[in-house]
Amino acid sequence: MESFANLIYGFELALSPYNLFVAGMGVFLGTVIGVLPGLGGTSGVAILLPLTFVMPPSSAIVFLSCIYWGALFGGAITSILFNIPGEPWSVATMFDGYPMAKSGRAGLALGSAFVPGFFAALIAVICFTFFAPPLAEFALRFGPPENFAVLLLAFSTLTGLGGGSAAKSVASTAIGFMLATVGMDIVTGRPRLTFDTITLLSGFSFITVSIGLFGIGEILQSSEETLEIKGIQGKVGLKDIITVLRTIVQNFTSFITGSLLGFWIGIMPGTGATPASFLSYGLAKKFSRNPARFGTGAPEGIMAAQTAAQAAGIGSLLPMITLGIPGSPTAAVILGGLYIWGLLPGPALFTEQKDFVWALIASMYVGNVMGVLLCLFLVPLFAAIMRIPSSILTPIIVLLSMIGAYAVNNNSFDIFLVLVFGVIGYLFKKLEYPLAPLVVALVLGDITEEALRQSLILSDGSIAIFFTRPIAAFFMIIALIIFLLPALGPITRRLRIGI
Amino acid sequence: MAKMQRANIICALVLLLLAGLVAREAIRLEIGWGDIGPKGGFFPFWLAVILASSSLTVLMKAFSGWRHTKKEFFFPRGRLGLLLTVLIPIALVVPLIEAIGFYITAFFYLALYIWWTGRKRLWVNLSISILFPLAIFFVFEKWFLIPLPKGYFEAYLPF
Repeated sequence: MESFANLIYGFELALSPYNLFVAGMGVFLGTVIGVLPGLGGTSGVAILLPLTFVMPPSSAIVFLSCIYWGALFGGAITSILFNIPGEPWSVATMFDGYPMAKSGRAGLALGSAFVPGFFAALIAVICFTFFAPPLAEFALRFGPPENFAVLLLAFSTLTGLGGGSAAKSVASTAIGFMLATVGMDIVTGRPRLTFDTITLLSGFSFITVSIGLFGIGEILQSSEETLEIKGIQGKVGLKDIITVLRTIVQNFTSFITGSLLGFWIGIMPGTGATPASFLSYGLAKKFSRNPARFGTGAPEGIMAAQTAAQAAGIGSLLPMITLGIPGSPTAAVILGGLYIWGLLPGPALFTEQKDFVWALIASMYVGNVMGVLLCLFLVPLFAAIMRIPSSILTPIIVLLSMIGAYAVNNNSFDIFLVLVFGVIGYLFKKLEYPLAPLVVALVLGDITEEALRQSLILSDGSIAIFFTRPIAAFFMIIALIIFLLPALGPITRRLRIGI
Repeated sequence: MAKMQRANIICALVLLLLAGLVAREAIRLEIGWGDIGPKGGFFPFWLAVILASSSLTVLMKAFSGWRHTKKEFFFPRGRLGLLLTVLIPIALVVPLIEAIGFYITAFFYLALYIWWTGRKRLWVNLSISILFPLAIFFVFEKWFLIPLPKGYFEAYLPF
């Protein structure tokens, strides 16, 4: 029961007045980010990252993770009241949320998202509390070959399970890695890929790149959508909450499946909340007694999507904190923050930075309680934010993005880079190159290369080292299978046609 | 107007070119085995190979599917204009921040952009354009002690 004692210690930290304030701010700002359709959780966390530079690391992680929890709740508000997904993970919430709100039951629709979402997050946090320490202990035995194999597994799930064109996912990953190699070579100390310029010597900061790709990219993308914002007024009453609680009990299997499935998918690197919400919604519909109700305003549909999304958000931080591998693009940005605060993500955090780890875990409980309360009581306020016209919102988000990029290194060149990556992000989205692998590869580039080079030094240049050590071999084989899945797809299809 | 498929091909060609550039740099850095394991160019070189082969796959798919795909436009009618109304001001703001500093740029950007796209009442417009940079000043410069660029005016400011 060591975890339990540590958790109590974590609560002492998380409940200190300063951390409570930071958590509250994080949840509030996160909800605002979640509500705004032009601003996603990933870019929101990246833009607000400079604010953490003045905080001690344990408060900084509380702040960033609470932004994520807030954004997970906030995305549901826009989906349900405005029929516009505030975040990609709230698209599935929209399927039933908006029809229900339109039929005059907006309060019940919002409640069906918030309350089960909160309980799912709670289940996921409890799983987190008890899974994370043993996983970290297991990972402490990893050497460079094991680390490389786990990283490769992360990238295989990122490219193989992402959907869309596999070739484009691979290209996106390779570009991310290339950006990471720009600058000083850690091993030989020689500048690489700088094309003899001084500006590129310090390399590309992942914050600049992610603010550009996601922040400015999303702004450019939403400029093309001439949205007419027609919202529905909604307030969650006590009666709605009671109805929702009854729905949870009636659909208990679906609720538990959604939570655990979400948590599990969240742990898988690179996927995160969005696919989890779709999968859970699909499963709930398939196993429902009356699937025809789905899509017309079924509370169990809203519940299925939202539980999985919120549990996945929590799950995506598990590999980040224990292995140093982010489970979602948002987690990748938070991971990058760890490097900036001078911490080395990975299993050693559990032994060397106990304060940091347990403050984070305890704040997951605190942040989600705050999130559900804020959302239940302040829905009208958050809905009002949606009514701010884009002519005011666009310049404000652009200016905040510029500050976010500049504040990392106090370098004006980064502001220019934000614009460049904004245009790239816009083009890539349009041509369906996924952006998540790029950012994750950029954040993990250095440690991946280091693990690969160290392994090859250990083995004197033979790649057999990845297959002779049992743990490394296990991860390598799974990674290779997942990598080859999309390549095998057309072959098996052709074989079937041949028969 | 460019078609989606053509844009896809151009993008793949640009990525192929990027892969070539990186490969050339990597070979210059040597991709073989040195005293301390793989040399500096080893990792970038194989990345370039991976990028080149995935771009070639995209290219091949784009050409083979040329006739079967629907004629999708990269910019549907009128969308390019909408994009440019957002993009051009951002492109102007970037050099201006360096030249005249963040706060003055922010004021003009907000005021002109809101006036141009939103046509709000003057007092709404001005109060946003003045209050937002002021709020940023107090949060970043005073509270978080992160100085933002001030351009030519740096030397004349008392803070």
